[in-house]
Amino acid sequence: MPKWVLGSPLILFAAIFVAYPVYQGIQTGFYGLSLQNPETLFTGLDNFGTVLTDPGFLAAAKFTVLFAVAVTVVETVLGFGLALLVNRDFPGKKVFFTMLLVPIMVAPALLGVMFRLLLNGDIGLVPAVLRTVGLDVSLFAPNTVVQLLVLLDILQWTPFAFLIMYAGLQSFPTDVLEAAQVDGAGRLRILRSIIAPIMKPIIFAALFLRLIDALRTFDVIYVLTAGGPGTKTTTMSIYIYKTAFESGQFGLAAAASTIVMLVLLPFVPLFVRRIANPDGKAR
Amino acid sequence: MSVKAARLVVALAAGLALVSCAPSTGSKTTGAGGDQGSGSGTVKMVLWPGPEGEAMGKVVEAYNAGQGAKDKIKVEMTLLSRQDTFSKEATLMAAKSSQQDIYFVASYNVGQYANSLDPLTSVDASNYFPVAVNGLKYQDKQYALPLDVSNHFLLYRKDLLDALLAAKSQWPAYAAVASKAIGEKRDPKPAAEWDWNDYIAMAAWFSKSANPSSPTQYGTILQAKNLLYNTMIWDDVLWGQGGSWTTPEGKANLDSPAAVKAVGVYSTIYKNGWTSKDSSQAEFPETQAALKAGKTAFALQWSAGFAELNDKTKSPLVAGKIAIAPVPGQKTHVHALAVALNKYSENKGAATKFLDYLATPDAMTAYAKAGGIPAMPDVLKANMSINPAFGQISESIDKYGYSVPVFPNTFQAYSKIAESLSGAWVGQQDAATALKTANASLQKLLG
Repeated sequence: MPKWVLGSPLILFAAIFVAYPVYQGIQTGFYGLSLQNPETLFTGLDNFGTVLTDPGFLAAAKFTVLFAVAVTVVETVLGFGLALLVNRDFPGKKVFFTMLLVPIMVAPALLGVMFRLLLNGDIGLVPAVLRTVGLDVSLFAPNTVVQLLVLLDILQWTPFAFLIMYAGLQSFPTDVLEAAQVDGAGRLRILRSIIAPIMKPIIFAALFLRLIDALRTFDVIYVLTAGGPGTKTTTMSIYIYKTAFESGQFGLAAAASTIVMLVLLPFVPLFVRRIANPDGKAR
Repeated sequence: MSVKAARLVVALAAGLALVSCAPSTGSKTTGAGGDQGSGSGTVKMVLWPGPEGEAMGKVVEAYNAGQGAKDKIKVEMTLLSRQDTFSKEATLMAAKSSQQDIYFVASYNVGQYANSLDPLTSVDASNYFPVAVNGLKYQDKQYALPLDVSNHFLLYRKDLLDALLAAKSQWPAYAAVASKAIGEKRDPKPAAEWDWNDYIAMAAWFSKSANPSSPTQYGTILQAKNLLYNTMIWDDVLWGQGGSWTTPEGKANLDSPAAVKAVGVYSTIYKNGWTSKDSSQAEFPETQAALKAGKTAFALQWSAGFAELNDKTKSPLVAGKIAIAPVPGQKTHVHALAVALNKYSENKGAATKFLDYLATPDAMTAYAKAGGIPAMPDVLKANMSINPAFGQISESIDKYGYSVPVFPNTFQAYSKIAESLSGAWVGQQDAATALKTANASLQKLLG
């Protein structure tokens, strides 16, 4: 039986549910399709030009990149630290492990609603507890809302980075560690010279997956701030959503999506190469 | 890869390309615009959940069991999520889908959706509030049938305001707080007589930061989140100050002195701490929470919020203490939630029969009894025993109701105004600059 026969269901699935919608999305970007004008009118690169010169899109792109880089770095570092911590036996490990994973089991939009209630200055548990220790803070105030969103993303997604790196540590060759200990290497030295280099592909995988996901952030921020005040917390996904469903400008929204995809696409092989070949040498 | 595999890939790619050469809309298009159908059979309708969806559910049940059975029509209603109903409908409309026969629309988006709807020709406008019917007209055609009306009120703590009005010994202190807040000494007034300066002065008086003996932490709560529905509330302030979105000639008019004053009402209250700093992300639920928790003395709120605040089980702290007054400045935004005929429906005859039924006072009485707020003044007046607020809603819409002109980009304009001004509302941006941006966006959308 030819090799491709076994893979054909997946190829067909990808063609129908990935390639075709992506193709349609890109194609829509070349048309002036909107609710106000449902007739398809070819507009060439006009939509792309409009999006690229829209200060709203550029501001959203800047915020998204800064937000994504900040949360990805912190989540990967914390995830690695937690993985090292949990990769040993201690009382209550199973409970701790389960608790760590709870945030990634909850739907992001639902988590947004939960945060909205928990952090509400009038009825929320968190501000009430903070007030009992003399801290009267308004978590949604304009000068703290970005930090709050970063913190919430870290709370939600650090467990994901942790899970990937914990799985990596579980398959770590223990004989190497034992040899280093016998040779008198300290914990920091073992971490720097043995664990970190061997874990590099896993760390890159976690960084890559989190970065891609963070660049698409939508749910929690949309539920909590809808991109405001003003456009202060508008991500590219929120910009695209509002362009399509509030403005009814499907052509513009598709062009914006295509631009985002084209900007991100070149990074994929770079990351994949680093994951597959952590030393960066050509194979 | 074998030759066969290569052929398969090429065939697949060619197929995709051919399919994609078709217009990018049209999951199941019906050419120039749908079909009358047989005049019977199943009618599919979309609504959103909540009081309107629940009330309509009862009306549909009654119709299917009575008139619908006679007409051999069965109505099937789908409730989408409250957040995303319009997004999902927009997708269906963009695809020129015939999946639904009747769409759920509102005054603020009927202009945007008009291209996907059929005008209604048999609506008897005399049964409805004129502001509700006119808000659903686009280019002089009636595109939707009013179902439910929404407007705003000043919801306030009657116990606290009555205590202040009765205690004349406190009036000099109130006048001193008012002097600092608005630059002039004023005596407290009943809520129905407030102007926007009274609103600011009262917000200061009932805030601990300006009046340490205030019974509430904050005077008010502003709905200042970057949300198109919050533009509707701010519009009350704009209109109450004598402003409007457009000049009589139809040009954008958001950089007027009245608009600067209207932004100033919000930013003065926010910057002075007479509302919670969290107001920057507040909307309907946060306002309800602040009033329920007894943290706030008054707020502008949607009419739908009143019943819950006076329900002893849902609001034990404040039930019976909250009263309704007209919005200061005596202008309130009004919009109608409505139902409209899908241009691409394949059963327009039957759908139109059901819409005709919904336009009867009997159907709207059933709707009111099931918890809705129908847009028919006579039905509201006749059913005040069901909801005591019906009388005030009817009077407020009649006397103070205002709706923005319907144009294709109304929905987008609400959103752009919120985006441009929400920073200025909470003092993050200069009012004049923000209004200039909002005005430019509005002018562009007006075309």
